[in-house]
Amino acid sequence: MDFNSSRYILRQGFVSLKRNIWLSLTSILTVTISIVLLGSSIIFLANIESIAKTLESQLQIGVFLDDQLLNTQITDIQNEIKGISGVSTVTFTSKEQAIVDFQKSLRITSLLEDLDGVNPLPDKITIVANNPNLVQGIAAQVQKISGVGDVSYGHGILEKLIAFTNWLRWIGVAVVAVFGFASLLLISLSIKTNVYSRGKEIQIMRLVGASNSLVRWPFIIEGLIIGLLGALIAMIIIGFSFFWLQHSILGSLAFIPVVTGLQFILQVLAVMLLTAMIMGALASVFSVRKFLHF
Amino acid sequence: MIKLRNVSKIYPNGARALQNINLEIAKGEFVFLVGSSGAGKSTLIKLLYREETATRGQVLINNTNLGRINNHLIPMIRRNIGVVFQDFKLLPKKTVFENVAFALQVIGKDRKNIKENTLNMLELVGLSNKVNVFPTELSGGEQQRVCVARALVNSPSLLIADEPTGNLDVDTAWGIMNLLDKINKYGTTIVMATHALHIVEQMNRRVIRVEEGKITEDRVEEAFRVGF
Repeated sequence: MDFNSSRYILRQGFVSLKRNIWLSLTSILTVTISIVLLGSSIIFLANIESIAKTLESQLQIGVFLDDQLLNTQITDIQNEIKGISGVSTVTFTSKEQAIVDFQKSLRITSLLEDLDGVNPLPDKITIVANNPNLVQGIAAQVQKISGVGDVSYGHGILEKLIAFTNWLRWIGVAVVAVFGFASLLLISLSIKTNVYSRGKEIQIMRLVGASNSLVRWPFIIEGLIIGLLGALIAMIIIGFSFFWLQHSILGSLAFIPVVTGLQFILQVLAVMLLTAMIMGALASVFSVRKFLHF
Repeated sequence: MIKLRNVSKIYPNGARALQNINLEIAKGEFVFLVGSSGAGKSTLIKLLYREETATRGQVLINNTNLGRINNHLIPMIRRNIGVVFQDFKLLPKKTVFENVAFALQVIGKDRKNIKENTLNMLELVGLSNKVNVFPTELSGGEQQRVCVARALVNSPSLLIADEPTGNLDVDTAWGIMNLLDKINKYGTTIVMATHALHIVEQMNRRVIRVEEGKITEDRVEEAFRVGF
């Protein structure tokens, strides 16, 4: 592509955008709506994922140790547990600490005296797994360690919780898939209308001997600009809503584990921008191709 | 310049538009293509600028077989052929100047060259005073002259006209014919499909009659008269 043609293409992309101003505005607005849908569904998915993760991280394995173990034995057991793959954190709670915690939860102070000074609670190790699916296996391995008494991990509840969080994730993915597909469809339809309405122009370009790339490129530039402008508006909308919602949720509903953070929202905005521009350009290429059959 | 050898065209729907056409047109000729509607004139014209390809046989323009060339070379072929249509095909959102300059822009000419050639061409077709006007503000004859200017601005050796006077009144039609005649005298080969028999008669050039997909008459006589 020589200099004259490149200049023509660039100029032409902008000029036709301006001359078909209403069509361009409609396309830009369509892109905005589609990309807002896409962006909010991604944020929705991220939050679903975060809620599921939080729920799952509350799945713990309680390991109750036999009485009369030496401190070194307890340390050995802890180390052994740490060595099991899939174990995230290991916390030791001594029986003395356990009774204090228990008293606190019962809101009394005289429990130990009531029990004649005999602490019936065992030493306890709390394990958090990397992944809830590993909980059962870890529990089984821990059970085999000598010095370990009971191992409890919410048998029954575990399966239900995993089923529930998986189901949550599927909803999130389905929402992104549906909205993502809808927005891609909307953008490509809109660009297609834009290109088709200028079929005559393309026909004439071909008649006077324009090469295929010279017909195609102004439309690609136009598609990129439409994608860019549409995405910019969508980014402003999503960006502001995100910070506003984050602020109000953190202020009033702090127990909901919302996804926050500048990096996260920047990534979402980047995905939105790229999707819009790539779709704009691709839709142009495919729409123009219809007219380039010889 | 143009050679058709045993050319047949059958459309995908089965319509036999042309059957075994043999034809030769020399450089500098002015040829009328006549025949009733649906006889195959338009198909023949489309074969010449490679809008369609022959089902059988060869279409040669300047010894290039249009059926054999690679798709990306079609634009190169088109740059050497000007095309004018009955319905003008002007871009309504471009001015007269831009419509003509368009043909030069798409082949990558520089601005100075474009301006010079476009203005010269508009002068040749007598539209120097309408340079910055939009097509919708022009009369039919003026619009067709813009089309002729656009078809000729990159100096093609062949001009193809598909019923260029079809939408024009008699006087305006003659304006266009005089313009084509002038262009032909400068050396451009012209192939023109038409229904306007009074023009064909008075112009007194070679006439090829196509009926039912076949050439039924090819006459060069001075005293050509329509027989029916």
